Amino acid sequence: MSVLVWRLYRAQAAIAAVLLTAFAAVLVITGLSMASQWHTMLLGCTASGTCGDLGATMSLGGSVAGHDLVLLSLAAPVLFGMLVGAPLLAHEFEARTTDFAWAQSVTRRRWLLVKVGWTLLAAAVWGGVMAALVTWWSGPRNALLENAFQPSTFDMQGIVPIGYAVFATALGIAAGALLRRTLSAIAITLGGFIGLRLLIANAVRPHYLGTVTAYFSPKLSTFTPPASAWVVSQGLVGKTGSSGVRGFATYQPASHYWPFQGIETGIYVALALVLLAVTYVVVTRRDA
Amino acid sequence: MSFLVWRQYRSQAAFAALVLAVFGAVLIITGLKMASQWHTILSACTASGTCASLHEGQTSLGSVVGHDFAILSMLGPAVFGMLVGAPLLAREYEARTMDFAWAQSVTRTRWLLVKVGWVLLAAAVWGGVLAELVTWWSGPRNAAFQNWFQPNYFDQQGIVPIGYSVFATALGIAAGALFRRTLPAVAIVVGGFIGMRVWLSQDVRAHYMTPVTTYFGVAGNFNPPAGSLQVGSGMTGPNGQVLAQNFNSNVGVFNGVPISSLPHACQSLASQASMSAQNAANRCLAAAGYHSYASYQPASRYWAFQGIETGIYLAVALLLVAVTFYVVRHRDA
Repeated sequence: MSVLVWRLYRAQAAIAAVLLTAFAAVLVITGLSMASQWHTMLLGCTASGTCGDLGATMSLGGSVAGHDLVLLSLAAPVLFGMLVGAPLLAHEFEARTTDFAWAQSVTRRRWLLVKVGWTLLAAAVWGGVMAALVTWWSGPRNALLENAFQPSTFDMQGIVPIGYAVFATALGIAAGALLRRTLSAIAITLGGFIGLRLLIANAVRPHYLGTVTAYFSPKLSTFTPPASAWVVSQGLVGKTGSSGVRGFATYQPASHYWPFQGIETGIYVALALVLLAVTYVVVTRRDA
Repeated sequence: MSFLVWRQYRSQAAFAALVLAVFGAVLIITGLKMASQWHTILSACTASGTCASLHEGQTSLGSVVGHDFAILSMLGPAVFGMLVGAPLLAREYEARTMDFAWAQSVTRTRWLLVKVGWVLLAAAVWGGVLAELVTWWSGPRNAAFQNWFQPNYFDQQGIVPIGYSVFATALGIAAGALFRRTLPAVAIVVGGFIGMRVWLSQDVRAHYMTPVTTYFGVAGNFNPPAGSLQVGSGMTGPNGQVLAQNFNSNVGVFNGVPISSLPHACQSLASQASMSAQNAANRCLAAAGYHSYASYQPASRYWAFQGIETGIYLAVALLLVAVTFYVVRHRDA
């Protein structure tokens, strides 16, 4: 059964490997040049004692091509979901190859488990390799700009892309099992993925853990939260029991970065499991 | 034949209309709110005389949801190309329904012409409606931030989304005709559309027309007029030649130019960090005939650029349609 899955997917596996190789080549080349630029910058600012305000005065562009690819990596999970997840069952139903597969000695349950298992593993590898490359590439930028916790940057580094890729693929598989049409499943994957990602990133993520709130005198026109923190809101509050207002900044400290990565990945993997359970019920209970 | 196309596509048409209705509802609700917010901001800044200093980042305008939808509108053309363009022929080949279609009294050319014609028209309407909604929604932001000529904002307003949408759909149709498989055609639309869009907007758009260049003193400060698209800046030497810049280092660089390429007399001043030495280096360079320059595309060229970019995408789409006709007509059934 595993051999069958490999033979079904070897062309897609080859294309995915070529894409990952090209992606890695661009990121490694531009990343090495950015790392040496960062090294030069550090030497320069150490000599002149200006490393404290490096972030305000210097920019680390990396190259345009590297930056484009890093942004495009945000779309990689949904591409896998659309092109591998959605057709996984839908195309079998459309081409009626399920009629043949289910007439063999392999049970429907085993057929589904092996196919889905290998594909989800591939999705996790796809998301993980992209994320590892982007995380390495972003190292100097994370250090200079201290922005690893900010929206969009958070979404393409660490382990969350693995969760996104597994979820997008499971969504494509479940949509294919329910609708039995490839194009409809692709549309559901695209819409569902974008909708959920926006909803969680904008409305849910700021509340994973309690925030830290700092109050400061409004005479200090600006307040800088600790390095690499994620400011979720700021403004002015009236002080109860006395006249005058205070400024406040509510933020998630940098120490919450990895717990947040873990929580977000967990949410997406849990949703993927629910979708797989639905798929399992639909496929095993449906008449051939 | 037109009636057949309608029957084939009525569920997709209903679905697209529904998506557009939701999109329109969100943009109209958030847009009206933003328009009244803009009105309040204008009243306040007129009263305090600070209207000149409204900037993106300092002034928040528009809701997160509306903003998300405006950004998502950039995906609209590719989605149409993937879900309508790519399967147009590929699905017929896969399901072998063209065997039946081509056995009828309608010629293959007419079958293709009517199908492709109506779908491309629908793609243009789809792109146009999305663009008009986003253009209207962005009105207050355009006025406040003068950023409609900047990358990304240019790409979601005006008429260019019509060109993108027709191109993405034509790409899907042509890929479907060549591969005769839906999924590879979908993949080609994603890759081709993103590649073409990124390449054209980053490397080609700035050169549609010769930019306007302004020269000013080495230490001077010049901001291009509001609403223009800056395409270059730096220093020129005594003969007016542009000096190569190096942004990869903050060591051995003066005003972005390697110190080694400056005149010998100014090099030692330029390599010192103190403010007085830097000012002296600026005077030294000015005496040697050096200038700063900024080149930009003025705001008055916005619609010319919109027209040129739309024209390019429509021309490529036409080429793809020609390839499709050639492939379909010359292939054995």
